[in-house]
This record gives sequence, structure tokens and C-alpha cells, in this order.
Amino acid sequence: MRVSLLCALSAGAMASLFVFSAAADSVRIGLISEITGPNAEAGSYTVNGARLAVDAVNKKGGILGKQIELVIEDNQSTNPGTVLAFSKLGGNTDIPAIIGPIRSTQVQAASPTIQKAGIPVMIGGTDPSLTHVNNPWVFRCRPNDTFSSRVIADFGVTKLKLKKWAIVHSTDAFGSGGQKALVDALKTLGVEPVLIQGYTNNSQDFTPVVLAIKKSGADVIGTYMTNSQDLGIFAKQLRQLGVAATWVGSPSIVTDTAMKLAGESLHGTYGIADFNPDANAEAKIFATAYRAKYNLEPDVYSSWAYDALNVIAAAMNAAKSTKPDDVRKAILGLKNWKGVEGNYTFDENGDGLRGYNIVKNEGGKVKFVEHINVDK
Amino acid sequence: MDALANNFQVLFQGLALGSIYALVALGFVLIIRATNVVNFAQGDFAMLGAYLMVAFMVSAGLPYWLSFLLALVGMGLFGLVFNYGVYYPLRHRGFLPVIISTLGASIFLQNTVLAIFGAQPKRLDNVVAGGIQIGSVFLDSQYLVILAVTMVMVAFQYFFFEHTMLGKKLQATSQDKDMARLLGIPVALMIAITFVYSSALGGLAGVLVGPVLFVSIGMGSIIALKAFAATIIGGFGDVKGAIVGGLFIGVIESFAAFYISVPYKDAYAFLMLFLVLVFRPQGFFGERVSEKA
Repeated sequence: MRVSLLCALSAGAMASLFVFSAAADSVRIGLISEITGPNAEAGSYTVNGARLAVDAVNKKGGILGKQIELVIEDNQSTNPGTVLAFSKLGGNTDIPAIIGPIRSTQVQAASPTIQKAGIPVMIGGTDPSLTHVNNPWVFRCRPNDTFSSRVIADFGVTKLKLKKWAIVHSTDAFGSGGQKALVDALKTLGVEPVLIQGYTNNSQDFTPVVLAIKKSGADVIGTYMTNSQDLGIFAKQLRQLGVAATWVGSPSIVTDTAMKLAGESLHGTYGIADFNPDANAEAKIFATAYRAKYNLEPDVYSSWAYDALNVIAAAMNAAKSTKPDDVRKAILGLKNWKGVEGNYTFDENGDGLRGYNIVKNEGGKVKFVEHINVDK
Repeated sequence: MDALANNFQVLFQGLALGSIYALVALGFVLIIRATNVVNFAQGDFAMLGAYLMVAFMVSAGLPYWLSFLLALVGMGLFGLVFNYGVYYPLRHRGFLPVIISTLGASIFLQNTVLAIFGAQPKRLDNVVAGGIQIGSVFLDSQYLVILAVTMVMVAFQYFFFEHTMLGKKLQATSQDKDMARLLGIPVALMIAITFVYSSALGGLAGVLVGPVLFVSIGMGSIIALKAFAATIIGGFGDVKGAIVGGLFIGVIESFAAFYISVPYKDAYAFLMLFLVLVFRPQGFFGERVSEKA
């Protein structure tokens, strides 16, 4: 009780500090992120990324000749906290744009509040529906989930020339959604999977799955696995039982935890990632600056916020205005705008990216292979 | 030939996981016999044991056997604390308060470990790296260790309960507390010893299975659910039953997953539980419920 009271007080103090330091000659951009609560670690990376972009833009002259000031609001890693934060910042008329959360569920909860505020909000949640609810103010700075399966299929079939697919997926919403999308994506490339194998999260033993793959004679495995433990156990048993097939996995395959757990059994596998420090020139500049400033390895939590702030600045400078309607039009007008996560072209729904980086696990290190865009 | 190899592989995995269920089920049964209550934190004993192993071996960098020993001693001590903190104060309050108390302990344990170690699962290495390759069958070294240790523990348990004075006193306590008390057996001490032993046993299961399932907050609950089903299938409160029940569930779910369907793997254990309850309610080795009452 006392702790939460203290948090509330200090958050309040922080907010009022920002209010008093607001100078008339600055542009104030809101950032709603997970400063406290279970996801506070990720939230701190998001703040890092946004701050780095603020520094970069300010050095280049800021927005319309004014310096950017970041107004940070904590959402306590919760949905109600997010709604509250949006009503607070959204009701503040001198904040013309907000960078919102990376969690889909939080964005979903705050969507009506965003609509009421009527200012552009950049989001990082990847649930496809978030930009399909007739809310003109939501813009996504990451590729949504419908693109991941198309990239996996495209890379395996077109680039690696592998046609005998086994799909292994968790039976939860994420896994079965991914499985269906991957089957569809393969079908458009003329490939029918030789095996589709589901499993429930927290399976202790993947021997039956591995034996089924062995029997199917698949030469490539596409996976949508939710938990890193499952991924680790599967990887270990797959290699132990002598299956050498190529493996292209959804982003969980290149997470730090999964790679630590599975160790060498994941070496040589491919995965997709929306951020990689070597993917393009912007990513390299970002990664170098990030490491220099924070002495940390940059990740998706920081990269998307960096892009989001830069997109806002670019749009405002292009529109020569900070009025919501002008900024919205300018964001939709960005064509092939070069960001850290890829080239942004916002469609009428507000989705900016349609591609992923293919990465390879080479001896426990994530190496960039290529960037695949599927917006054809 | 290939089919034979596959069947052998599936049997091997099933027996190894079944052994883990059996070890945890054994812990359940000993506490049921001594106190007449189900300890819902039994699975968390396994989780805690595995995390102690991570703390000693990975964080502190101690050698395997020393960490192993420290983890088991640590779990034994924890059993003592558990006895005096969770069971002892409520021992005269009947069945329900104690069960709720163990449930509370389970939640407390999981959250404490979460606060200390964080949500990311941890890795433990096999005792001996690698395994044995026979044709297309691969026997993972850790699974072999699990099978061997379980056999040793079963033999030890038999010797301990049937051929030592302490074991006989423990048995007497579990059979009739009042009679045991009249015979001069310190019942409270015997129950405390049971908790120490059960906790170490649970911890042992966790340490053994850590390299296979990885060490995570939820690992205990998953094992405990199956182990609990094993306890009932084997005969509620029967030592032989716990071991046979555990192995039975491990093997059945392994084969059913291979031959029928993987996503329904968890359902088979409970389907078996259902069938046993319908056709043999007292379990494989249990006494009839009417006799117990």
C-alpha cells in the first residue's frame, strides 16, 4: 500500500515537474510507457529509445525550429493505467502527438480514449486488429502479425527453395493464428505442408512431435511457439533424434531466453525479427548511438520508440504544422521513409511497416541475413 | 524395425518423465499418510529445489555434487520450516484449514522465487553431457540418471521403512497416531521428519528434471498435477501405488501422444484418472474407501 502510494506521489511529482518546466518555445511529445509494474524493464528501454531520438532531432534543429520536450507518463504496465495516462496527456492541448504502448492489449483498452483525444498516437502492439477499428489516430511503427507468416513462407520457399514443410505450433491464440496464416501463405506459393503439428504450452516432452516430423520427411520446419521452455525442449529433442531439417521460426526463436535455454541445438536456425542492429544504415547509426549513450544492447523496445518519435518529427516538419489533422495527413503522406525497423509507408489503416528481417543463429550470435518486404 | 525403435524411444521418454511424477507422488503420499492432508505445495518443492540448484551451481559457481548436496540439505531444512510454519500451527484444526494453508504456501513460494530470480526460465546442464545412441534411438543422459536415481530411491525407501527403527516409527505414526503416542513415539517429531524427507524428495525431483524441462516458476505445478493423478490412480496414500501410478501415467501419456494426438497429451492422464475412479475407485493398491472411513 505504502509503496504504491509512494509511486503515485513520485509519478505526480514527476508530472508536475514537467508541467512547470514547459517552455513556450518547445514542442511537447507525450510518451506513455511501462515505467512501473512487471514490464518496467521493457518500459525503460522504450524511454531510452525515445530519448535518443529526441536528442538526434533536437540536434538537427528540432520540430519547426523548436526543441522537443518528452512528457513521460507511466501506465503501470496495466490496461487501466494506460487509459488513465491517455486521458491525462490527451486532455492536454499543448501535446500534439503521443507515443503509446507496445502491448496490444493496452492499446486496445485505450483505443476509445485515443479517438476522443483526436491526436496522432504511435503504437508498437502487433495485433492486426488494432489499426482496423476505424480509429484514424492510431499509427503502427512495427509490422503487424499478418506479415510474419508471409515472410517465413517467402524466405523458406523462394530463397531457400525448400518445399516440404512441417509446421509446429502452440495451440494457443498466437500459435494457431500463426499456423493458419502460414498455411495460407504457403498455399499462395503453391506449397502444401507435409505435416501440421500442434502442441499445448508447457509440454514436457516433444518426442512424438519430433518422430512425426522425422516420418513426414520434411526438409524445413516453420514454427509458432509461444514459450521459450517449449522451444528449448523441442530444439534439444529435435537435434538429439537426428532431424537436421532447416528451421525458420517466429520471433520467439531469436529471443535471448530461448537462445540461452536451447544453446547449441538452435545453432543454424533462422528466425524473423522486426529489429536487428545490422539491418540497414539507420539501424547501424541507432545501435552505435544507443550503445554509446546507455552501454546497453539495443532491442525492439527501444528501436520502435526511436522510429516513432522520428516519424512524428518528420511528419510535423513536412506539414509545417503541429495541428492533429495536418500531422495525420503528413504521416499518411510519408513514402519509403527510412527508419531503423525498415522503410515506412503508412497505409490508410495506419500500418507503417510490412516487412521483417530474416536473422540466423550463428554459433549463438544473431546475424542479419536480409530484410523481406511483402507489400506487393 | 523403425517402428520398434520409435516405440522404444517413446517408452523411454515415458518412463523417465513417469519417474519424476513418481518421486513427487511419493512426497504427496508420505505427507498424506503422516497428516491425512494433501500438500498442494508439493510441486513447488520440486521448483524450489531446482532454483536452489541454479543458485548454488550457476550463480555461486559451486561444483555439481556440492550444489546437489547443498540443494537437498536446503530442501530438508525448508521442509522443517514448512512443517512448523504451514502445518504445525493448524494441526488440530482439521483437513480444510491445512489444505488452504499449503495452497497459500504454494502461492507464496512461487511469488517469492519470481521476485528473486525473475520471470525468465533458467538453464541447468545435464549431470553427464550427451547420451547413448543405439541405432535411431537416443537415450539422453539426464533421463538415464533420472531412471537410475528413482530406482535407488525406491530401494532406499523400502529399506528405510521396513528395516530401520526410525522407518518403523514413522509407519506406526501414519497408521495410528494415538496408538503411536501411547507407545512413546514422539508423533510431532515423526511428522516433522516426514516433512523434511518429502521436501528433500520433491527437491530431488526438481534438481533431476531441471536440465530436461528447464527451471521455471511454473514447473512444479505442471509436475504436481500429474503426480497428484498418479497418487489417486495408484491408491490414495499407498507408497507402491505412487510409484506405479507415476510410471503408468508417464508411459500412457507418452504413447497416447505418439499414436493418438499430441495436443491432447495432458488429457490422457486425467482420462486414466477418470477410468480408474469409475472402475476401481480405491486405485491400483488402495484400500476400499469404506474400510478407511
